[in-house]
Amino acid sequence: MSTTAKAGQIGRSLPRLEGRAKVTGRADYIHNLRLPGMLHGKIFRSVVAHGRIRRIDVAAARQVPGVHAVYVSDDIRRVIANPYYGPAFHDQPILAIDKVRHIGEPVAVVLAEDPHVAEEAARLIVAEYDELPTVTNEVEAMTSKVIVHDVLKPAGTFPDLKHLEGRKGTNLALDFHLRRGDTKKAFVAADRVFEQTFTTQPVMHTPLEPFVSVAEPGDGTLTIHTASQSPSFVRIEIARLLGWPENRVRVKAAFLGGGFGAKLYIKLEALVAALALLTRRPVKIALAMDEQFFTITKHPSTFRIKSAVGKDGRVTARECEVWWNGGAYADIGPRVTQKSGFTAAGPYDIDNVAIDSYALYTNRPPAGALRGFGIPQLVWAYESHTDMIARALGIDPVEFRRRNLLRDGRPQATGTVMQDAATGKVLDRLVERMGWSRPFDHGRGTIKRGRGIAIGFKASIAPTTSVAILNLYADGSCALYCSTVDMGQGSDTAMAQIAAEALDVPAETVRVVHPDTDVTPYDMATLGSRSTFHMGNAVKRAAEDVRVKIDVLKAELGLPAGSNIPVAELFRRKYGMQAGNIVGVGSFVPGYASPDHDTGLTPNATPFWMVGGTGAEVEVDTETGHVRVMRLINVADLGTPINPRIVETQLSGGAIMQLGFTMQECMEYADGQLLNPNLADYKIPGMRDLPTRIENETVAATQASGPFGAKGVGETATFGVSPAIANAIDDAVGVRLTDLPLTPEAVYRVLAKGSR
Amino acid sequence: MSFDLVEPSSLGEAFKLLDPDDPAVRPLAGGTALMLLMKSGFFRPKRLVSLRAASDRLARVRVEPDGAVRIGAMVRLAALERAPELRRGCPVIGQTLRTLSNVRVRNVATLGGHLAHADPHSDLPPVLIALDARLVLAGPRGERTVPVDGFATGLYETQCKGDELIVETIIPPAGGKRAAYVKCTTRSADDWPALGVAAAWDDSGGTIKSPRIVLGAATEKPTRLAMAESVIAGHGLDDALLARAGAAAAEEAEIVGDARGSVAYKKQLVKVFVGRALRAAQARGGAPA
Repeated sequence: MSTTAKAGQIGRSLPRLEGRAKVTGRADYIHNLRLPGMLHGKIFRSVVAHGRIRRIDVAAARQVPGVHAVYVSDDIRRVIANPYYGPAFHDQPILAIDKVRHIGEPVAVVLAEDPHVAEEAARLIVAEYDELPTVTNEVEAMTSKVIVHDVLKPAGTFPDLKHLEGRKGTNLALDFHLRRGDTKKAFVAADRVFEQTFTTQPVMHTPLEPFVSVAEPGDGTLTIHTASQSPSFVRIEIARLLGWPENRVRVKAAFLGGGFGAKLYIKLEALVAALALLTRRPVKIALAMDEQFFTITKHPSTFRIKSAVGKDGRVTARECEVWWNGGAYADIGPRVTQKSGFTAAGPYDIDNVAIDSYALYTNRPPAGALRGFGIPQLVWAYESHTDMIARALGIDPVEFRRRNLLRDGRPQATGTVMQDAATGKVLDRLVERMGWSRPFDHGRGTIKRGRGIAIGFKASIAPTTSVAILNLYADGSCALYCSTVDMGQGSDTAMAQIAAEALDVPAETVRVVHPDTDVTPYDMATLGSRSTFHMGNAVKRAAEDVRVKIDVLKAELGLPAGSNIPVAELFRRKYGMQAGNIVGVGSFVPGYASPDHDTGLTPNATPFWMVGGTGAEVEVDTETGHVRVMRLINVADLGTPINPRIVETQLSGGAIMQLGFTMQECMEYADGQLLNPNLADYKIPGMRDLPTRIENETVAATQASGPFGAKGVGETATFGVSPAIANAIDDAVGVRLTDLPLTPEAVYRVLAKGSR
Repeated sequence: MSFDLVEPSSLGEAFKLLDPDDPAVRPLAGGTALMLLMKSGFFRPKRLVSLRAASDRLARVRVEPDGAVRIGAMVRLAALERAPELRRGCPVIGQTLRTLSNVRVRNVATLGGHLAHADPHSDLPPVLIALDARLVLAGPRGERTVPVDGFATGLYETQCKGDELIVETIIPPAGGKRAAYVKCTTRSADDWPALGVAAAWDDSGGTIKSPRIVLGAATEKPTRLAMAESVIAGHGLDDALLARAGAAAAEEAEIVGDARGSVAYKKQLVKVFVGRALRAAQARGGAPA
């Protein structure tokens, strides 16, 4: 439509549209927002993991000069009668009611005009509890007499949770079961059977921008400014809590300083909403870094995996039992349990599969989605297990994987036939880059070297909806209205490129309007690597809608369809001056079929598959157990990259994040207390912890159903990192680690016990 | 929280503002440790006495005629890292500083604060002990000089009285000494160390004279390992000697377990890192006499 368009907006490594604003400090973040008359809230939190609240004494806090108010749950109930929220269960109170269920649970809140006054006053609150016994381990939670919630309260959003309504005396928040073929028979007939149990530790998302939300009361309306990955969900859930129609709640998001799955659903939004209605003033709560550890975490897990193998080195059956430690409130844990359950047996072509995946309540801070939606925990187990089998059988780990790999056209464990999943290519490219067939120097003296690979895959979360609006202005410029949140992953740039390609204009000229539920249309959320595919498709459709409407306008003006009259001229001819709009709308919801409740089988489990493989070369210091990753190679299938440079940073970023979860990060508890809720003692990777070399590659592939062949990438590089490193350690020193993280002491301990 | 921040312009004035009987009155140097304690609510000051302008003497590094180096208490670690007075005669200080925390902390933290805080994980105390360094302490009753060895009496506890300040650190002439510091972190490269080992000795034609082996971080306070020292004294280094020194060190050290490692694991690290420190000292050689 424009003669100035550059050829091909897809595959362009366009620098991020917001890059300059960010590095010059001009980008807007919610943390910078100050509103007239705004109060600052500080949360007073529980120091016991499970207890009945006997008394909360806020008298001293109220008396601190500058304190506006101190509120507890009874106050919240004056504006929200039933103040329980959550995407899967309505189980989480805005402030603790009667009981506390985890360390750090919000119990009261102080409001003051100065955040430091609020903080100081919050220290003066005294709460007394009758402490209750706790359950903290996910496997024990299955049978524990300690029950975290007296009654289960599913939200009603998900059909597979409805049967849990009103259930008592259980910590089980969802059980997903998959049965394919006949595993019993296959295990009896097996040549060899292997069984291991793997665990992962509690870790946290650590966005460097902690949670922050501001609520602003209006005349029968409420505006919430929030660092959220899911503004549309926030509006729906706040409207539900208040009993208001959606159109009286407005939710605006800005750039996020990282999200990684932490800033989803409701976090601070319900609290600031209630406080704004109570005080009739804008209220802001900005968490400190330590409070993030009590807000949302990544599921610790235990995974028992058992495989039957035939004489030909083919896996004939696999049994998976996974327990997810969901903490005190379900958050999105039940979805993690089900969706990751689909692929717990790994990217292998196995005729007989049994999967049991359990979401469990415990007295730990809530766990939710974290860059992979449970997949990294599963790949850790199944790719360690796969390597152990190969080594035990004396088959090369690559060869063993090739023999068993699940390829396009074959049914996956759920029965869904694999399509556009480049498992073979990912494995091939990984092996080629590593030079797997060449001899490898295993080191000498006290420094041993080893290499390992791992490959994982993920079913995209489904079904979810995205809607986009493309507004073409009278001068021919345009703006894209979409509720995808740019939290550092570069979605503004990618969406602009998709719109630009469809409109045939340069991507730089597309203005992206940030999420504002009064302006931008519905999007399920920015999560699970779904935006490029779902929102990308919606954006493409919106742009196509614009083009159709341009053609209609041309016809109306009596112009031939192929005429290249500039858009501005069309508007002038139509309206007699520079006026009017063309509004294109696109919406996208992919097909999906719910799995059968008893068998977990479905012909359509996901709109697309994500495939990621990692290769690692390590050096192990046999005297100390220190492991240095010398080379980390990430190979991914993400269809056609929209922006190769951003894709590369997503791959290396995901891999480095998972490297932290593999080697060093761990929330450490003792006597019920979290010992390290700070960045001095909770160590995320620094520059000197990075592998000597990181290489990233995208295999040549196309997602036929994706926008211009693309699909998501945010999580792909996290899949294989942990097992690739454990497999490399085994290759170097002949010992196997089954529990994350792989700290020097953990490595040294197994070394000291002696190699196999 | 409100407190007074005062900035005396002389040491005498500073002593008057300090109060040995009130733990809420503390001197303030770089503040890198104190600010964390205040942020966490662990320390709630009534008065902070900033030493920033208290005396020129606190801000200087100077070399005595005999080659000893006097370092003022308020000298920033980053300045020390690059101090020409140390680079030649005592390179081990600069080498140690380059791995101490990070550049942001080193730009602010001071040597006096580093020592007075007496965090057992600090890197410089073992090095200074190995170099036989001394501290000049000043108070309202005058000045006294104490060895760095023994200055820390326990976790965050020192010989400094409540109204005393560290004024200077004196490093004796180190000509001909072989010295090195190695440390081991277990949770990330820039973590506080699980242990640090400083080794120094006078090289006398290939044999070791007056050895110092000092262990930090793994113990409640930096500690000389006398048994390991006696194992190497009078010998030349070889693999067998390193192994014996490591074993002796692991046996004698009173190791404290924490999030960076259990007692058993740290014992193994001591065994290994004593050997590595000795080897590093040997390899780096002595400073020119």
